[in-house]
Amino acid sequence: MTPKVDIEAMRRTNERFEPFCEMISVVPDEDHEFTFSAKDNLCAKGFQARAGSRILEGYRPPFDATPIWKMRAAGGLLLGKTNMDEFGFGTFSTNSGYGIPKNPFDPTRACGGSSGGAACAAALLPGHVALGVSTGGSISCPSSFCGVIGMTPTYGRVSRYGLIDYGNSLDKVGLISRSISDIERFLPVISGSDPKDPTSCCQPRLDLSKVRKGPMAVPKECLEGLTPDVARTFDDAVQTLKEGGTEVDVVSMPSLKYAMPAYYVLATTEASTNLARYCGMRFGVAEREYAQHFNDFFSKTRSESFGDEAKRRILLGTFCRMVGFRDKYYLKALSVRQGITKEYLDVFKDHSMVLSPTMPFIAPKFDEIASMRPLEMYSADFLTIPPNLTGLPHISLPCGYHSGMPIGMQAVAPHWEEGTLIDLGKRWGTTFAYKVPEACQ
Amino acid sequence: MSSLEKETVVRVARVARLRLSEEELAKYGKDLEEILDSFEVLNSAPSSESYDFNPIPVMDVLREDEPFIDIDPEELMKAMDTYEGYVRGPKLS
Repeated sequence: MTPKVDIEAMRRTNERFEPFCEMISVVPDEDHEFTFSAKDNLCAKGFQARAGSRILEGYRPPFDATPIWKMRAAGGLLLGKTNMDEFGFGTFSTNSGYGIPKNPFDPTRACGGSSGGAACAAALLPGHVALGVSTGGSISCPSSFCGVIGMTPTYGRVSRYGLIDYGNSLDKVGLISRSISDIERFLPVISGSDPKDPTSCCQPRLDLSKVRKGPMAVPKECLEGLTPDVARTFDDAVQTLKEGGTEVDVVSMPSLKYAMPAYYVLATTEASTNLARYCGMRFGVAEREYAQHFNDFFSKTRSESFGDEAKRRILLGTFCRMVGFRDKYYLKALSVRQGITKEYLDVFKDHSMVLSPTMPFIAPKFDEIASMRPLEMYSADFLTIPPNLTGLPHISLPCGYHSGMPIGMQAVAPHWEEGTLIDLGKRWGTTFAYKVPEACQ
Repeated sequence: MSSLEKETVVRVARVARLRLSEEELAKYGKDLEEILDSFEVLNSAPSSESYDFNPIPVMDVLREDEPFIDIDPEELMKAMDTYEGYVRGPKLS
């Protein structure tokens, strides 16, 4: 059955909340079975791919990213590309060159980042599934702030072919939706080995019927630095799980305190090399003054077109991999990642999942974000970074509301065990009443 | 304390092909110093016996080296400035 697409209603929604940076203007004649959107860092025929950056203005890829190709082949109609922080550099989707998505529950607040437009679209459009991308929490964070479900699969589960890289050892394509049944339906669609992305080629077959049993673990380190409303709401959710028969243990994971610095070293180091290709010769903004020396030619486009946070992260990553600093930062961070992974695996010996709040606070107002220093913003990711750094699959589920704003909880499972997370989502959905934003009632 | 001299920021910016104003040099220098200070905690982290560049084991995927056209070159050339089939770029010296 072809679902009805109301372009005018989408336009009105976009004027108010800005989930999309580009949308279809007419519905094509051919039949489709479902609609979906894609974060703007996924290449799709027929759309620009700008990754929220002015430097990619005008770039029209002649191919589909593998996850988009698979969704289209399964009968999906791509409605548009969703707004995001430039190249994924942000926690609130405020670093976009093409509009800032507004929170569906309160448009004076942020959607979270960097897949903010994707979570916003999933919250506002009925029956919609959004393709998001997470490097350090960019699916979980906006899902928590926008009151929807965000699934980040194991690193390598979904092909990254056609994804505009941020940190290639960290980037993961995933799904955001109001409904766990959509996540269950579409995860098998986008998953699977792809010779065009070798990191996808050593995965075991996705088996959603494989569900781990056993108690859940809550690291005590994840209960520090929370606002009282998030702490209380998470506590209530844990209580509900216990009343439903789930055993929950508080454990200690001391290595988690190293995750934030290790992540930012690796992510910015990789980003600084991945973004070297944007230099005015290919993809987007073109410099035409060929008489210049190549250093001046490259520097001119990059200096004029990269945004503030992109420049900051390129500088940080370039510094961390320079001679004299590489061992201290980059190699140390790689080693620390192994240590954190080992600590997770130790916890998984006796536990089915690791549970925590998703974000330490509810979606902030835009004027609060404007006064935050870069380090404060980076530190806000301390709960979403550990599973992302270690490539572990995780899901963010709405678990309560404070002052009308959603609060999320995040469950992390061992590598390749996404079925455990979907099972949790289904069980949680039978006891918890999700709210939809007033804007779509 | 990871003191970040202005000369260091200038050198990093040059390597990164970014031209920064005096104001930007001061701003990013201050931000980087604060961020790098927060990274100092890594010095106290136990080092693992090994490390990998990916969070999961990744194997080499090999294929026969057979030429084929995946995407029409005309389409690819639309993403760059070309002259008689050559990609235009700046001079090297």
